[in-house]
Amino acid sequence: MGYVAIKGGEKAIDGAADALEALRASGPVSGSEPLSLNAIEHQLRLLTSRIMSEGGLYHPQLAALAIKQMQGDTLEAGFALRAYRSTKPRLLETPPQDTGNMRLIRRISSAFKDIPGGQMLGPTHDYALRLMRFELAEESPEPFRKMASTFLKNAPEEALPDSFPKVLDALRSERLLPPKAEQRNPAFDITRDPLIFPVSRSAALATMARAETGSMLAIAYSNMRGYGDIHPTVAELRVGYLPVMLPHPVTGELTEAGEVLMTECEVIAMYEPEDTESAKDAAPEFTLGYGACFGHNETKAISMAILDRALQKGMRDGPENPSEDPEFVLMHIDGVDSMGFANHYKMPHYVTFQSDMDRLRSTREKYQARGETPQEETHES
Amino acid sequence: MTISATGESWPPARSQWLRYWSAVPAEQTEALAADIAGLCEVRDVTLPQNGLGLLKLPDSALNDLYFLGEVPVSHAHVEVTAPDGTRSEGGARLLDDRQSLARALAVLDATLAERLPKHEQALDLLNTGRAAILETRAERNAILATTRVDFSLLGDGSEDDDE
Repeated sequence: MGYVAIKGGEKAIDGAADALEALRASGPVSGSEPLSLNAIEHQLRLLTSRIMSEGGLYHPQLAALAIKQMQGDTLEAGFALRAYRSTKPRLLETPPQDTGNMRLIRRISSAFKDIPGGQMLGPTHDYALRLMRFELAEESPEPFRKMASTFLKNAPEEALPDSFPKVLDALRSERLLPPKAEQRNPAFDITRDPLIFPVSRSAALATMARAETGSMLAIAYSNMRGYGDIHPTVAELRVGYLPVMLPHPVTGELTEAGEVLMTECEVIAMYEPEDTESAKDAAPEFTLGYGACFGHNETKAISMAILDRALQKGMRDGPENPSEDPEFVLMHIDGVDSMGFANHYKMPHYVTFQSDMDRLRSTREKYQARGETPQEETHES
Repeated sequence: MTISATGESWPPARSQWLRYWSAVPAEQTEALAADIAGLCEVRDVTLPQNGLGLLKLPDSALNDLYFLGEVPVSHAHVEVTAPDGTRSEGGARLLDDRQSLARALAVLDATLAERLPKHEQALDLLNTGRAAILETRAERNAILATTRVDFSLLGDGSEDDDE
């Protein structure tokens, strides 16, 4: 592949950046207010969540800035966040954090209605009609500001715990699931080490955790529609704030350094008959898939859990469908990678295309030398 | 140490201090740390830093360790010497970009650990932070309480369709 250096494009490139900024500020109403990062972070919280998880960095303010800077382009915003993180030094690796301590704002199960601690729907569009609420088009600031305090005032006075036991633990206590395995392998750092197949499950989980939501959904959907055989049931879907514990610099005691909003999902798939001699005597058990991501993004967590389960099957038995093939899945779900490749076709390919034209002309000359007339010329004449 | 009406001990254990101070507006903690630095000698044991940390989790299905992504981290470790010669070390690791904030909290940590001058104000800020945390907790509790599903209503006839 060849590229050619040119001069004289700098002014046009500067102009393109200016034009982009001008369009950001233009509109039918002159002098409109610029978007505040606070407004983006809170009023577009699901978008901010998506950018954090796809950017691989939990930083709501910078995610909001990326959304503003990239004018709502999620792929570019994720790219900006990744670029930012690449400029920062790595200070530490946290000790393993227990998601059982998440301070929940939502937890549901489609497997059982009576889960320990109960089901709380939390903030969700799940049960709302997908009808346009035209009153939001002319929303006035006064009631908008009162909305949160009114909600708090009207809430039932019921003291609930911050965290709840996991549904999977209840199933484990009934021996319907295998007991938790020992942690044997270190976590794989996809930001420092390339994916070389076959990859560990740790590498697959980390890759999916920062993958592009739509790409994951598409491949998981292929499994749901029949290019696969997972048939998942959501054991538990949780959204909440994970307290992150780090050792205190003086005492060494684990101390809460902050909290991270995340979504976590465990799916149960049907048990599978085991063919191995050792497994023949064992009681059948359900199998599991796991998904998690920064922020509030349930579609991504569910898709990841389905793909995790599909990939486990593919890694064990060999892939029978695209969603079970680790290389197919993991190499095609990263938004920055795939967007970069697609968009690089916009860049000048003058030399390569010149070569293509030369080859076409040369082929035509060969046709003419043999006395044959290319089809297109027949049409033109 | 006292026990509050909610059964919580006060002042809280040192492992809770950073959480509480982090909930206070940064200007307040940085202003108090500056006041303390005006009275005491503050020396960096290690230079304050900011960067990133990899967030490691065990997956709850098969218990494999993996990285969910990265979080911003700032770190500070200081030694504070009071005019009477009393020395105290303090430290802070925060999920935050601002190393100036980490250093301020490390100063408060050292001050309260050895009851150095102005430790009363540091204690007051713990209380301010605790109130902010309780407010956040109340908001989250309201979300849960408002949206709790009462499955016992199903089939008891009160909401059943008559047809």
